Amino acid sequence: MQLYQYPKSNALFDRAAKVIPAGVPGHLGPAAGCFIPVSAYPIFCETAKGAHFWDVDGNRFIDYMCAYGPNILGYNHPEVDAAARAQMEKSNCTTVPSPLMIELAELLVDTVDSADWAMFAKNGGDVTNLAMLTARAATGRKKIIKFKGGYHGILPWMLDAGYPGVLLEDVENTITIPFNSIELFKRVLEEYRGDIAGVISTPYDHQAFYENHLPEPGFWNDVRQLCTANGIVLILDDVRCGFRLDVRGSDHYYGFRADLICFCKALANGYNISALCGDASLRPSISSVFATGSYWLSAVPIAAAIRCIEIMREINAPEVMKKTGEKFAEGLTEAARQHGFEFRVTGEKAMPFLTLGDDDSSVLLQEWVAEMVMRGVFLANHHNHFMNCAMGEEDLVYTFEAAHEAFEAVRKRHPEMYR
Amino acid sequence: MNEAVKAAINLHALLRNMEDLCQLDEASANAIRGHEAAIRFSVPGIDRLVLTFHDGQCSARRGENIPCDMNLRFSSPEHLNLMVAGEKNPLPTKGFRHIGFLKKTFTFLAGQLESYLKPDRERIKKEQGFLEKSTILTAYTAFFAVPEISRYDETGQRIAGKMEEGIVNVTVGDDFGLHLIAEKGSLRAAKGRNANARAAMMFDSFETAFGLLNGDLDSYTCIGKGNIAMRGRIPMIDSLDKLLGMVPRFLS
Repeated sequence: MQLYQYPKSNALFDRAAKVIPAGVPGHLGPAAGCFIPVSAYPIFCETAKGAHFWDVDGNRFIDYMCAYGPNILGYNHPEVDAAARAQMEKSNCTTVPSPLMIELAELLVDTVDSADWAMFAKNGGDVTNLAMLTARAATGRKKIIKFKGGYHGILPWMLDAGYPGVLLEDVENTITIPFNSIELFKRVLEEYRGDIAGVISTPYDHQAFYENHLPEPGFWNDVRQLCTANGIVLILDDVRCGFRLDVRGSDHYYGFRADLICFCKALANGYNISALCGDASLRPSISSVFATGSYWLSAVPIAAAIRCIEIMREINAPEVMKKTGEKFAEGLTEAARQHGFEFRVTGEKAMPFLTLGDDDSSVLLQEWVAEMVMRGVFLANHHNHFMNCAMGEEDLVYTFEAAHEAFEAVRKRHPEMYR
Repeated sequence: MNEAVKAAINLHALLRNMEDLCQLDEASANAIRGHEAAIRFSVPGIDRLVLTFHDGQCSARRGENIPCDMNLRFSSPEHLNLMVAGEKNPLPTKGFRHIGFLKKTFTFLAGQLESYLKPDRERIKKEQGFLEKSTILTAYTAFFAVPEISRYDETGQRIAGKMEEGIVNVTVGDDFGLHLIAEKGSLRAAKGRNANARAAMMFDSFETAFGLLNGDLDSYTCIGKGNIAMRGRIPMIDSLDKLLGMVPRFLS
């Protein structure tokens, strides 16, 4: 395979860096996106369709990051886009909202097991924050428990002291404990009895940079029971997993019922909307929380979300992605084995996290991922991947061919592995 | 301002630099030639520093039982910080015969060090090798300050406590390197690159390192442009970057 080069992307980055701090800030940029080495990666996209995007240099990529989750049905999905365009012809951001928001709320209540109501915002962090405020409003308590490595957005309470701009005081009411440790969870409940407003967690431990962990048997059942017994609001941050594991919510998938559940990413196949759904008992509390934003009730993303959810239900999207993810994991594991590498896939099949054995520093993985990207398969060396419903058999075949070449390239660079 | 953190940095990052200054700067090397002195800096609550001037070289050592022939006692961390700012004098309790060395030679060295750490931009353009020396001394100051922040500052302790264990190399091309060792929630800095590093932060040139350390450039843009490369365990570099970002608030 011809290795990709990126002269136009690089020229555009130089231009961007003059007027935009960091050039491309945030997780889509080369620094936070862990483009290692940066020369292996495209920086700007020209077009996208289905499972692919094309960069400004004309290189095509099979995109296993899916914009970090929003692409679930395929980029530029014709039916979702048509619904958005049709609404754009009518209205978008207006002084009073479109009744379409009622339709989306009804659809979410009908689809999501733990939803008795729905509120809308823009980003995942909007709704995780709204959930925290709701938990405090409902309980009159201060503290929030979260699990180590859990990412819930960029507001100070969700981060940690030491992030530039975040103070110790910002996180003094956040208690962080390891995922899957029910005994420690019990101890914290005891230590802070009467002070804990809520527990926020992703459905499983899918933190970046570390192998992912599924919930231990009984973990969620125990957490649910303890929250109920102690009057604590159980918040499920389903921003990343939502609709990829189960259209009824990842709490349903793991056999429990959250009090509040946060959605974003896959909700509208790339249109900018997030949603907080919850139990009827919390309706008075969330109604009292001051929550609003300039674009929170814009109608175009709402129209896209409605069509996206309908299609995900029609095709049983989670099952489609699970099967693709299984083939993805099996094919890469076999390719690695043939080249003498141990390949590990952790997390859920629709959202696999990849590591290599005998790679304490992650350098082998970084090199292999870079080789894959330069061959048109966009992977991440630090983050879980995302399957989408547009990925086809030919994409997997191409991915495995690239994997063979990439593993061989890494092996040649590390003669110590020929032992 | 946490005076203890600032004092620890002043001792073990800033004044520690005398060791390298006397190697890199010819005028400083000439100034100490023929002088034999071991000066201890004693600050309550902070590990002591001994600067030993011997045989035309300076060495910096940290610890309690290091021999010295001059003891400079400070009544508090703030007292040391005021001395570094030129607003107070130390209290010598031993080795009065070295007062002349302290007043003349050491003051000269401090001025030389300041000229590298607060570089005159015109001098950078005119004087060959100045940018490299300035960058090396600034890098030592910044990266040797990191363990002090991880040791004495509450937020620093929190970051270091969560940092993965292992070694991070920091290099400038093939010409310069230092490394930090994270172990059991604390950090140590050491000169030179380490063959067993789990992570690396690599500057492509002294110009890039100078720009970053002096606040002219930001690391995110440099990474995007390929002027800084990261490799290995990125969470370690992320922790180091957070600690490094706290250094300027303690260095006046």
